[in-house]
Amino acid sequence: MIKAVTFLGAAAFTLAGHAGAQSAVPAGDAAAGAKRTQMCVGCHGILGWRTAFPEVYKVPKLGGQHEAYIVKALQEYKSGERTHPSMRAIAASLSDREMADLAAYYSAPAATTASK
Amino acid sequence: MKTIAVSLAAALVFSTGVSSAADLAAGQAKVKEICQACHGMDGNSSNADYPRLGGQYPDYMAKALRDYKSGARKNAIMLGFAQGLTRQDIDNVAAYYASQSAVLVTRH
Repeated sequence: MIKAVTFLGAAAFTLAGHAGAQSAVPAGDAAAGAKRTQMCVGCHGILGWRTAFPEVYKVPKLGGQHEAYIVKALQEYKSGERTHPSMRAIAASLSDREMADLAAYYSAPAATTASK
Repeated sequence: MKTIAVSLAAALVFSTGVSSAADLAAGQAKVKEICQACHGMDGNSSNADYPRLGGQYPDYMAKALRDYKSGARKNAIMLGFAQGLTRQDIDNVAAYYASQSAVLVTRH
């Protein structure tokens, strides 16, 4: 009996560990993300907005982008692998949870937002 | 006056960062040859490893490709593809994906 309990316990631990490994990135909450866009909208929320430094080009559209890709981009800015200075500073201030929530918000299908 | 006109024209070209002579048909052909296997012809990729590109700003995509080509942006897959593109190819494929406007939007 003790062996059976131990076995079940180990099985449960293994399952939990497996689930944990699969969800290393927390599931995003789009509603929470919508309330955390203060640092994003000044550039990404304006149609045709351009960066001023270090190179001039229009900041990318995010609406409808893959959720996992947005998280990956933020993580790469945070780690310094991607180098835009403003994005590096902003991403460095975000937790994994905040990145996931923002990605869930921005990745909603394009059809749910009017402006192109 | 002529100098001003030339300066203005140059300013317009440089301010967009994209050649004014981007060729959509050539871009489409290059996308079909190289990009579409991952990003799709319409830039609406189904695999989250590959960003959606349809409707993205052409100057942003051209900068990304130039950075992949130079190694400033590190990605083993994109380095290989970008190295095979000329500056004109880059402007062409960026213009083509930008014209596939149904995928990405500006969200507030």
